[in-house]
Amino acid sequence: MATIGDFIEKFTTAVDFQDPVEITPDTVFADLAQWDSLAALGTIVMFDMEYGKTITGETLMSCRTINDLFALIG
Amino acid sequence: MGLSTVHNVRYRGMATCVPKHKVSNLDCPPAKRAERERLTRNIGIYERRLCPGWQCFSDLAFEATEQLLAELEWQRDEIDALIVVTQSPDYLIPSTAIILQDRLGLSHATIAFDVNLGCSGYPFGLHLLGSMIAAGTVKKGLLLVGDRSGSVREPLFSDAGTVTALEFDASAPPMYFDLNSDGSGYRAIILPVGAHREPPRMQHFIPFKGEDGEWRTAYDLQLDGAAVLSFSTQRVPPAVKHLIGYAGVPEESIDFFLFHQANRMINETIRKKLGLPTEKVPSTLHDFGNTSSASIPVTMTVRIRDELLARPTRLLMCGFGIGLSWGTALVDIDGASFLPLIEA
Repeated sequence: MATIGDFIEKFTTAVDFQDPVEITPDTVFADLAQWDSLAALGTIVMFDMEYGKTITGETLMSCRTINDLFALIG
Repeated sequence: MGLSTVHNVRYRGMATCVPKHKVSNLDCPPAKRAERERLTRNIGIYERRLCPGWQCFSDLAFEATEQLLAELEWQRDEIDALIVVTQSPDYLIPSTAIILQDRLGLSHATIAFDVNLGCSGYPFGLHLLGSMIAAGTVKKGLLLVGDRSGSVREPLFSDAGTVTALEFDASAPPMYFDLNSDGSGYRAIILPVGAHREPPRMQHFIPFKGEDGEWRTAYDLQLDGAAVLSFSTQRVPPAVKHLIGYAGVPEESIDFFLFHQANRMINETIRKKLGLPTEKVPSTLHDFGNTSSASIPVTMTVRIRDELLARPTRLLMCGFGIGLSWGTALVDIDGASFLPLIEA
C-alpha cells in the first residue's frame, strides 16, 4: 500500500529540483519556485513507472496539492 | 495496414554525415549553469551538431551518399529510386529528392520524391523503398533520411543526414514492419505558420516572451512535452512487442533495439517498460542529441558499427514522434557496408 511519505519521496526524486525544498501533503506544487515543465514530465514518468498509472499533463495540472496528486494513485 | 512483411530486399549499406560544428548544452551564462545542468541531466543531451547557415540537410545527405556510392561501387545509372525523408527540405517546393537526382548525377529514369515525416521516418522510409524493390519496380534504391532541426535557442535537436542503400536480392531475409499514424495528435509537435493553413505574415516574425522567459516567434517549433512523453511511452512498448510477435522471432535473437533518440526521460521509460538491458539499447543522445528521423542510422554508425561489420545482426528499429506517427521494423543485416561517421 502506497503511503504519502513514500509518495513525497518519489515526487522529490522525480522533479529533481536543484535546491532542496520541504514538501508536505498540503504543498501547492505548482507554486513551488522551481516547478517547471521538466518537473511536470518527471512527475508523469513517476506515476507511470512507480504506480503503473497513466496521467496526462491536463490531469496533473488539475491537481493543486501533493495530496491531490497522491489521490490519483487510487 | 499496420503489420507487413517485405521480401527480397537486401540492406546493402548506410552512411551518416553530421556537421563539424559542436555546441555544448552547458555553454550558458554562469547564473544559468545549475539550471542547465539539471536540464541536460534529465534530457541526457550534452552536445549537439549544428549546421552553419549555409548548410542544409541535403548537403549532409549528399556527402553521405557520394561516399556510400563509392564504397558500394554502385554506378549512378543503376539507381532506380531516390527517396528523401525530411522536414527540412531545401525549398518548400520542389522536392529536395529531385534536386539531388541532378546533383548526384543520377539518370532521368530515377524515381525521386520527398516524404514529409520526422522522428518516425526511418522505418517508414525502409518500408516504402523496400516495397518498391519487392514489387520489382526498383533494383537499387537510395533512402536519404534526416533533418536540420537544431538551433542554439533550444537544447534538444541536432542536425544529421544519412543514406541507406537497399537492393533486390531473392536470398535476402524478410523485413518486418508495424507502421501507425494518429493525426488527432497533430498539434503535439507543430510548426503552426508559414504554409497554407496559416500563410506567412509580418506579425509572425515579431518576437514574444514566453512563460519561461525565452523569446520566441510563431516560426519556432511548438512542442507539447507532456503530450509527446505520454504518446511515446504508451505507444512504443506495445508496438515493439506486437512486431516481435508478428515476426515470430525470439526476443533474445534481437541483437540491438534502436529507438529514435528523443530524450533520456522518454527513452529510459521505454527501455525499462520493455525490460531491456542497456547494452542492447545503444544511445547517441549524449553527444548527438535528437537527430529527428536520422537518429536510428546515427546510432548505428556511432555506437554499433563494429558489431554490424563483424557479424550478422538482427535489429529492431522504432521511430516515433511528430504526426503523431510511430513505426517499427525488424531487419536482419549481413555483409552490409557501414562507413565511419562523416563530418562535413
